[in-house]
This record gives sequence, C-alpha cells and structure tokens, in this order.
Amino acid sequence: MRSVTHAMTTLAMLALCGLEAAHAQVRAKAEVSCRPAKKLQYDCIIKLANSRTSEPLSGLTLMVGADMPSMPAAHNVRPVKATEEQDKGTYRARIALEMYGDWALRLELSGVVRDRVVKLLRFESDRVGEATPTQAPGRHRH
Amino acid sequence: MIDLIQNTVDGVMIGSSYGLLALGFTLIFGVMRRLDLAYGPSIMIGGYFGTLLYLHYGAGPFAVAIAVVIGAVIAGIYVERLCFAPMKAGAAIASMVSSFAIWMQLEQAAILVLPRHTYPFPPLATAAPLEFGPFLVRVDHLIMLVCALALAAAVHIALYRTRFGLALRAIIDNPVAAHLVGINVRTAVLLAFAGASAVGGAAGFLVLAVDQQVTPMFGMWATLKGLIAMMIGGLGSVPGAVVGGLLLGIVEANSQWYFGPQIRDLVAYVVLFAFLVVRPRGLLGRAPEPGMPPKA
Amino acid sequence: MDDYLIGVLSNIGVISFVALSAYLLLLTGEISFGQQGFFAIGAYAAGIATALWGWSLTTALVWGAAVSGSAALLVGVPTLRLHGLYFAIATLAFAEMVRILFELFRYQISIDGELIGPNGTDGFRNIRYIFDHNIDAFQFLLLIYSLLAATMLAFMLLERSRLGVIFRMIGQDETLAELQGIPVARYRVLAAGIAGMLAGIGGGLYAHLTTYVEPRIFDIMLGVHSLAYGLIGGLGTALGPLLGVLMDIGLLESIRALAGYRMIIFGGLVAMLLIVRPRGLLDEVVVHKIGRGWRRLALWVRRSGLKPRANNARATGGPP
Repeated sequence: MRSVTHAMTTLAMLALCGLEAAHAQVRAKAEVSCRPAKKLQYDCIIKLANSRTSEPLSGLTLMVGADMPSMPAAHNVRPVKATEEQDKGTYRARIALEMYGDWALRLELSGVVRDRVVKLLRFESDRVGEATPTQAPGRHRH
Repeated sequence: MIDLIQNTVDGVMIGSSYGLLALGFTLIFGVMRRLDLAYGPSIMIGGYFGTLLYLHYGAGPFAVAIAVVIGAVIAGIYVERLCFAPMKAGAAIASMVSSFAIWMQLEQAAILVLPRHTYPFPPLATAAPLEFGPFLVRVDHLIMLVCALALAAAVHIALYRTRFGLALRAIIDNPVAAHLVGINVRTAVLLAFAGASAVGGAAGFLVLAVDQQVTPMFGMWATLKGLIAMMIGGLGSVPGAVVGGLLLGIVEANSQWYFGPQIRDLVAYVVLFAFLVVRPRGLLGRAPEPGMPPKA
Repeated sequence: MDDYLIGVLSNIGVISFVALSAYLLLLTGEISFGQQGFFAIGAYAAGIATALWGWSLTTALVWGAAVSGSAALLVGVPTLRLHGLYFAIATLAFAEMVRILFELFRYQISIDGELIGPNGTDGFRNIRYIFDHNIDAFQFLLLIYSLLAATMLAFMLLERSRLGVIFRMIGQDETLAELQGIPVARYRVLAAGIAGMLAGIGGGLYAHLTTYVEPRIFDIMLGVHSLAYGLIGGLGTALGPLLGVLMDIGLLESIRALAGYRMIIFGGLVAMLLIVRPRGLLDEVVVHKIGRGWRRLALWVRRSGLKPRANNARATGGPP
C-alpha cells in the first residue's frame, strides 16, 4: 500500500519535471465589450493583440468561458467558440450566463498562440460594465 | 477627540441595529442551541418584500417596515420548519448545514425575482442633520436608535413580564424540564422563531432605510454582524446582545474613520477572535455549565 | 476529452481538497468554517512562488502546503480550549481575517515590463505557469488527480491506523479519550495542521488551474460548502466528501435546463437529505454495513472455493 502511494507521488513529480521547459511565450492582451442580447445572453466583441507589440492576433481558436468569482468552481459556463470577424484580431462570441452579477470571462487562446486572459465584468439585465467592488451595507458616514 | 466622540455617537446608532440583529439571533440560539445561518437571508427576503412594495406602490416607510417584518417572519418560519423542527436532538451540525443550504436557496430566489444589484428603499427622514455643538447627528440615525431601543425594551418586557416569555426562558434554561412541566416546547420554539425573525426584520428595515438600498449581499452581512455582536455580548444573553451590538458599532465606526472600511471589518473579526480565545462566553454570557457544553 | 469536461473534472478535483480538509477536522469532532482561509494562503503562496520567484510547480505546491500548514498550527493552538460552536465561529473569524488581509496585500514585481503579483482587491493575475511551460489542460488534470489519489490513499491508511482511531475517539468523546491517556491537545493540533496543508495543496492547484485568484473567491460560501460536502456525502469515509463534491458540482452541471433555479433545487435537496440522514449518505452506519457485506462475501467466496462439500454450520459464514 505504502509503495503504491510512493509510486504515484513519484509519477506525479516526474510528470512535472519532465514538462518543465521554459519558453518565452507570446502573451496576449484583450479588450472585451459585451452587450445584452436576449435574457441572460450577451454578444461579446473581443479584440486580441500581442501584449508587447500590440499587433492583432489573428487566426487563433478562441474559446470563451466564464466563472463567478464569488462562487469558485460552481458555475461552469460551457465555453463557446468565438468566430473571427473581418477585422484581423477581432472575434465575436455569444455567451449564455446563469445569473446576473460579476463574472470572470475566461478567454482561452489556442493555435499559434496558447494563452489565457481573464476579464472581470459585471453583467446586468440592461448593460455590461466594469465590476466595481460592492459597498457593504451600513455605511454610516455623513 | 471630537472625531472620537462623533464616531462613538455614530457607532452607538448603527450599533443599536447590530444589537437588534444579535437579539434575534440570540433568541433563536438560546431556544434551540443551534445556529441559524439563514437568519440574515430571511431578513433579506423581508427587505425584498419591502422594496417591491416601495417600487410598485410607492408605499411610505411605515408600510414598508411592516412588509419587511412580514417577509422576514414568513421566511423564518419556513427555515424553522425545514431545518430545525424535523431534526433529532443530536443533529446540530445537520441543522446548521441545512440552514446554510436554505440560505443559498433564499438568496437565489431573491436574485431571481429582483435581479439587479441594488434596489431602493424609502428613507427614514429627509431633514438635515441636527447639530449639537461640534457634533452632527443624522435624523434617520436618531430614529434608528430610538426604534432599536424601544424594540429591545419590548423584547425585554415580553421575555420577563409575560407568560410566553416565562415559557421561553424555561426552555432556554432547560428544555427537558420545560417539557416535563407541560410547556409545549415545539409550539413555543416556532413562535420564538417567528418573534426573533420579526425583531430581525425590524432591525433589517432600520438598516436598509438608513442605507436607502437593499442588495443581495445584505443577507450575509446581517448574519455576520448579528453573529459577531452576539458572540461578543455573550451567547444566549439578551442584554448581552444589545451590549455586544453597541460595542461592535463603536469599534467599527472608529476603525472606519481612522483606517478605512477594510480595516473596519478586519478589526471586527479580530475583536471577535480575541474574545473567543480569551473569554468565549463574551461580556455578559453565562459561564458554560459543567455537563452541558454547547457542543454540536 | 473535451475541454469543458476537463475543466469540470479539474474543479471537482481541486475543491475535493478543501472538502477533505474540513472532513478531517470533522473526524476529530470539530466544525470548521474556516478552511477556505488555508486554501487562500496556499493559493497565494504557490502563485507567488511560481509567478514572482520563478520556482518550479512542485516546489511551489510544497511551499504553499507548508505555509498553510504552519498557519493552521498557529490558529490551532489558541483555539484548543474552544469547542463546538465557539470553535466554528473562531475559524470563521480567522478565515475572514485572512481574506481581508489579502484585500490589503500588495506585492508586485516588474517582470518583462509587466507588473506581476497580488494587488489587493484586484487580485492576483497572470499565474501563468502552465502556459509558460506548455502543460496542457489534460496533463494538469492528471496532476490534480494523482495528488488526490495519493491523498485518498493516505486517508484509507489513516482509517486503518492507530492515528485514525485516535482521531475518531477524540471526535466521539474528548474527555473519555483523555482518560484513556491520549494527549488530546497534541492530536487536535496535528489534525489542524494536516487539514491546513490539505487545503493549501488544493489552493496551490487552484491558483495554477485558473491563473487568476482574488480575495472574493475565498469567502464564507466556500468554507461552508466544503463543510457541507462532507456532511452530505457522509462522514463514515473519506469518499464521503468526494461524493458530496461530485453531487454538488456534477449535479449542478447536469441540471442545465433549470440553470437559474439550481441553488433553489440543490438547497432544498440538501435540507431534505439532512433530515433523513443527518450524518450524510455514506455515514458510519452505512460504511460499516458495506464493510460487513464485503467481508461476508469474501468469506463466502473463499469458503465455497476451498471446501466444496462443506455442510457444517461453521462454514456457512453466517452471522456469529
């Protein structure tokens, strides 16, 4: 029994060591703007660019997923594939959320560049905006 | 120095509503020996009743207050029936986790009906703040303080001058003995729950009216503040709840003034933790009796 | 395996660590609402190690576990005198303190012209280890599950060992355990430390899985959830909390059609379940019965194999 535990942890560590090859990766930066479409569905325009050179990243596979920061790992929105538009580096996706509130959009890039960008936005019924920290009740200042 | 006094005055005001929240909490705990994590959310349901009334019918503060209390009581009874009444004697953890599950249920139900981030609440008073020398006192804060003290006094009278109060105190002291002398414990507990929810609802209304808004975060906030105030003042102690609430309010107000809102919350928890480590029974709580530990 | 499934399974794996952490403390008879604090510490520590100090993932995870374990020991000592509700609230207070401290915590280094590091309420972004080292989602999933499997193995061993019996004894009746000569304080602190480490490992994995953490994630909801998983799944075995996690996240995923009503349904289900089974699905009684059933089956198989003509009462493997 003990040796099996040892073997498995060793395997795990070997797996890690074997995979350690540091590369200088291309990093992406993204601009996201979303508009409400139907109920709890939003149309998002995402512009991807190289974070260093600012040149648009085109021809990538972009999957858009979302998570609620206040309830980690609980609301897995099925990722949707974004389609690239005419403008190079501009993608469009329609996402369906489960609740209004603050969501962390997870932009998974694959293909020529593999990266992930996270954008926090507040999704409401009539608009999508920045997620500002909520003020707790009981403010008793003048 | 002036700041300190001003803050203390403000702290006493908001502390009075903390005290009310703690009062409801402590009544439930005293009677059931279990923690109701859905307490804050049931008050929030009341709050949502109130805001609906305000939004759709433009009702005034008094009507809204009644709506809040009714909503809180309905939610409280729901919680009691589902999470506490059916549980056997030793299943305290199960009750707590069950009340947590209902907390989530109530929160989601509220968000479904009213999905926006904030909803308006009628103000208690629109007059300008009163001035007492260098100190400012907001009129709505004053109303909050007066109402809270009045309610606390009412609860005290109910507990110490009525037959029902006597029955409750008997149950708090020793549930088995109370049953043996003929008190209908289950009914009394249900009524106590309803009463505690009503008190909580009133406290909730006061806070929401001063804030002039209700948000989905209110449930958790109310539970936490009530819990902290209750523990500081002493678990199961009615005067302790009020004292704990006032103390919490004062500490918070001063911390917020000198250090900002995050430190304010941090200090509240540090104080709670310190009390628990050094003097778990709080300021006015009973020393734990031998043979009757408040263990789950 | 499609990415979505990998994602869900990874989440289940990571959350299981916190659930097991709360479960361990439940074994010793203590309710903890605060394991999310150690989850947070593990996440931040491991994230800082890889993103700011350039450590390898393995070292970072070990570091995260060490820091959260030590924090747990630091909290375990002053709370020794507390029991039941008091202990629970003390852990809650601690976890909230940790969360608020992370809201104030700022530690940023400029790497390649970019500011990386925890930034208060904005959180800690760009924990990009798995991207920088070409680890794909499936490989990370394997990592999570091999660590989880090792942990489960350790728990199985624990149940059969003297330490496990001691923990359960303390959980049943502390005074009695003390009378039997067990230094209860020492074991409670030990349990606290191990539980803290478990949560810390989970946190480190979580930080690298999502590449982005913020203090808001580590709030009371997470803590009470992890407690609930053990209670729903059952306190009789370490598989209980896993079952709880599976039921929550798995069920939540499958009730897609009723997306907006999930919590309502799930909350109601949990409440009703707890009325009928206050110690969870796989509670001690069920586990014992399953164990007894297995043993009887094994005995029957063995006996019927070796002695085909056995017809005396002793060989039937019936009740003693």
